[in-house]
Amino acid sequence: MTLRTKTLTAALALAISAGGALAQDAAAPAPAQQGAGTQQPTEPAATTPAPEGEGVAVPAQAPAAEAGSGETPAGESATAPTQSSEPTSNSAGGELTPMEAPEAPAATVTDGETPAEAPPAEAAPAEAAPAAPAAEPAAEAPAAEAPAAEADDPEQDAGEEAVDAVQVTEGDEAAAPAETTGTVVADERHDDIEGQAEGEEDHGGDHGAAHIEDIAFSFEGPFGKFDQFQLQRGLQVYTEVCAACHGMKFVPIRTLHDDGGPGLPEDQVRAYAANLTPILDPDTGEERARLPTDHFPTVTGDGMGPDLSLMAKARAGFHGPYGTGINQLLKGIGGPEYIHAILTGYTGEEVEQAGTVLYQNTAFPSGYIAMPPPLSDDLVTYEDGTPATVDQMARDVSAFLMWTAEPKLTYRKQVGLVSVLFLIALTSLLYLTNKRLWAPHKGKKQHS
Amino acid sequence: MAGIPHDHYEPGTGFEKWLHRRLPIVAVIYDTIMIPTPKNLNWMWIWGIVLMFCLVLQIITGIVLVMHYTPHVDMAFASVEHIMRNVNGGYMLRYLHANGASLFFVAVYLHMFRNLYYGNYKAPREVTYIIGMLIYILMMATAFMGYVLPWGQMSFWGATVITGLFGAVPGVGGAVQQWLLGGPAVDNATLNRFFSLHYLLPFVILGLVIVHIWAFHTTGNNNPTGVEVRRTSKEEAAKDTLPFWPYFVMKDMFALGVVLVLFFAVVGFMPNYLGHPDNYIEANPLATPAHIVPEWYFLPFYAILRAFTADVWIVQIVQFLSFGIIDAKFFGVLAMFGAILVMALVPWLDTSRVRSGRYRPMFKWWYWLLAFDFVLLMWCGAMPAEEPYATISLIASAYWFAYFLVILPVLGVIEKPQPMPATIEEDYLAHHNSPTRMAE
Repeated sequence: MTLRTKTLTAALALAISAGGALAQDAAAPAPAQQGAGTQQPTEPAATTPAPEGEGVAVPAQAPAAEAGSGETPAGESATAPTQSSEPTSNSAGGELTPMEAPEAPAATVTDGETPAEAPPAEAAPAEAAPAAPAAEPAAEAPAAEAPAAEADDPEQDAGEEAVDAVQVTEGDEAAAPAETTGTVVADERHDDIEGQAEGEEDHGGDHGAAHIEDIAFSFEGPFGKFDQFQLQRGLQVYTEVCAACHGMKFVPIRTLHDDGGPGLPEDQVRAYAANLTPILDPDTGEERARLPTDHFPTVTGDGMGPDLSLMAKARAGFHGPYGTGINQLLKGIGGPEYIHAILTGYTGEEVEQAGTVLYQNTAFPSGYIAMPPPLSDDLVTYEDGTPATVDQMARDVSAFLMWTAEPKLTYRKQVGLVSVLFLIALTSLLYLTNKRLWAPHKGKKQHS
Repeated sequence: MAGIPHDHYEPGTGFEKWLHRRLPIVAVIYDTIMIPTPKNLNWMWIWGIVLMFCLVLQIITGIVLVMHYTPHVDMAFASVEHIMRNVNGGYMLRYLHANGASLFFVAVYLHMFRNLYYGNYKAPREVTYIIGMLIYILMMATAFMGYVLPWGQMSFWGATVITGLFGAVPGVGGAVQQWLLGGPAVDNATLNRFFSLHYLLPFVILGLVIVHIWAFHTTGNNNPTGVEVRRTSKEEAAKDTLPFWPYFVMKDMFALGVVLVLFFAVVGFMPNYLGHPDNYIEANPLATPAHIVPEWYFLPFYAILRAFTADVWIVQIVQFLSFGIIDAKFFGVLAMFGAILVMALVPWLDTSRVRSGRYRPMFKWWYWLLAFDFVLLMWCGAMPAEEPYATISLIASAYWFAYFLVILPVLGVIEKPQPMPATIEEDYLAHHNSPTRMAE
C-alpha cells in the first residue's frame, strides 16, 4: 500500500536522522593515544637565515611566550584555576604576553626582498587589487598557513628564546604599532587569505592522503560539556605558543570567566587581559591596557597565521564517505580533530618552496604546511601536573579552540536536550489525543 | 461556490450579527477552519502545516536577529559573532533560523514530491499548484539572499556565482548583473539590497500562502485516491470528509511534534551539520574557495547548471543553431531555470486523466526513479566538477527533463490505469472498519 510504504519510508528517514542527531559530536571510540610518534623535532626550521634586508623591529611579534616554558617559576601561570593569588605580578614577568615588549631582542624581522612586497612565493590573484586597497602583500605561498612564523622551534631549548625563532618575513605593514592593538582592520583579510589557502584543499581532503583521527572530546554528544580544566590548559597553550602568531579577534576576554568555559576567576581574567598587548582606545586615541571587555588581540602581518576565533568551526575533519559528509553524523564535523591532527601531524620533512619553508604534515590537505611545528614535549608546564606531551597539548588547545568557536555549546546542548524532552512529552500527548479523536471514525482494520 | 457543501457560520448573538453585517471575518475564519477534508489523507498531507510553522518561525527569529545584525561588509561577520556570543539566546535564534531554512526546504520538497505522486497539480488545482511554485521560487531567492548575510566565504562566493548566472544572458547580461549587484562586483551595495529583500520576500511569501490556501479551499484537498469528494449534497460530502478542526488539526499537530523533536535535536546537537565550514571564514574577495558549494537545497539545480558543459553535443548543437548566442554557460543557466519551469508546467504536461499514482502501474516506476534522480543530482551538486560526477550529472539532468517532457506525456497515452474506488468513502472503509459502517 502506498500509504504504508510512504509512512514507513518517512519514519525510517526520521529515525535515521534522529539517530544521527544524537550521535553528532559523539565520537566513535577513538584510540587513546595516537600520532605522538609522528611528532619529530624538526630542523632549525624557523631559523631560516635572514636574507639581508633591513631588520625591522616589530613590536608585535616577539614571542616572549616560550621564554618561561622550560623553567617557569612555580605558580606562574595566570591561567591556573586554583590559584587566585596574584597572577598579575607573576605574569608581568612577560611570559604570557607574546607581543608586549616593543623592542624585544627576540624579534628578528627579515624583510624578504622589498619592503613593500611579500615573500617571493606570492601569487597575488589578478583581481586582488581592487578589493584590497589596504595594500596588503597579497597572498602567501599557496598553501601557506603561517610562513615561518611560529615562535617556537621544537628544537630550541626553552630558555634560549626566540632569538631567531621568529622570522617574520616582512610586509610593509608589520611595523605599524597600530596593528598590534587590533584596531586596524585594513589587512585583516590577509589572515583569511592564508586561512583560505589552507581551507581550499580542505574539502578535497577526503580524497587525499590527509588522515584525521577521531577523538573522544568531552564536549561531544548530547550531554557533552567542556572540561573546564582542559580549557584552562588549552588557554595556556594558546597564550604561550599560538598567540605569537594567531589572534582571536572575535573572542571577548571577559568570556574566560563564563560558566561552561574556562571559568577563570574575575581577577585572573582582569590580570590576563592587562598582560595582552595594549589596545588603541578609539575614544581617546591612546593606547591603554586591555580590559576584560576588550577582545583578544588581532594578529596580522606577514608570517602571521589566520585568526583562531572560529577555526574549530571553519575546518571539517571528516568528509566521507564519498564526500557526502554522512560520517559527520557519527563523528561530528571534526574541527577540533582537524586542529589536533595538524598539530601532531608533522613528519619532520620540509621543503623550501619559493623562499618559504614548508613542513610536511600528514593532516594538511596539500601535505605541506607553512607553519613550523609549534609544539614539542614539555613546551609548557601545566599547573595541574598534566604531562605536557605534544598530543596532550594538541588536545587541550583543540578543545580550547572549540570553546572559542562555540562558547555557548554547553548551553546549546542543554537547550536542545530540554526541548527534545518536552517535545517528546507533548508529542506523546498529541498522539494519544489524536488517536482518541479519530477512534470513532477509524475502527481497527478487520481481518476476515 | 464550487466548494464542498458544509455547514456555514451563523452569527448567533447580537454583536456577532452586528459584526457580520459589517465584516464577515468570523465567517471567513470559521469556513477556513471547518473545511471538509477528505478523511483518507495520509501522512504526506502534513507538510503544509510544517511549512506554515517554518514560515512563522523564520519570520519571528528573523525579526529578532535583525535587531542585532549589521548589514555592512566590514561589520556583518562580526555582528553575527556578536549574536552568537553576546546576545541573550542569540546562538539559539541564529541556529533556529539557519536550520529553520533547511527544515523549510525538507518540508517543501516532500510537499512537492507528494504533489507529483498523487497528481495534486491536475485540474482543477492548477492555480494552487502554480502559486505553490511561485512560493517555492521566492523561497529559493529568500534563502539564497539570507545565506549571503553572514558574509562568510560561501556567502560571498555563492553570491558571486549565482549573480554571475545572470551575466550569462547574451547582450543584457552584464548590465543585469551589475544592476542586481549594485556595482561591478559583490560588495556593500549587494549586501544591503540582499538584506532588504531578504526581509521583504517572506512577507510576499506570506501573502502568496494565503492565496494558496484560499485556492485549495475552493477546490478542496486532493487525496491519496485522487477521487473527488462527492458534492451533490451535504450528507454525501460528509461521508467522504471530516472537518479540518479538530480532526486534521490534531493529526497535523502530532506530526509537527514529531518533526520538531528531530528539528530541535539537530539545532541542539548538530547545528552546523548542514552548513559549510568555509562560512565561518569571513568573506575575502581575494581568495576563492576551491569548491564553491551552495546550500544543500540548491544542489540538484546546481548540478543541472554544471552538467551542460561545452563538450556536450546538445550544447554544441544549440550553440551552432543559435549562431553562438547560446553558449555553454547560458545553456546551463537555461537548463537550471528550465528544470524548475518544466516542474511548474507539469499540470499541462501530464496527459493522464488518473490523478493518483496509486492506480498508475507504469507511472510508479518512473516516479520513484525521479525521486532517486533528485537525490542523485543533489549528491552530484556537492561533488567537484570532474569525472565521473560530470557524466552522472548529465545523465541525471537528462532524466529530469525526460520525465516531464517525454515520459509524463507519453505515459498518459499508453498506460492502462488500474481500477479506482468510486468514492473516498469506499477507499476509506477498505482500510478502516468504521463503526459507522458496522452500525449499518
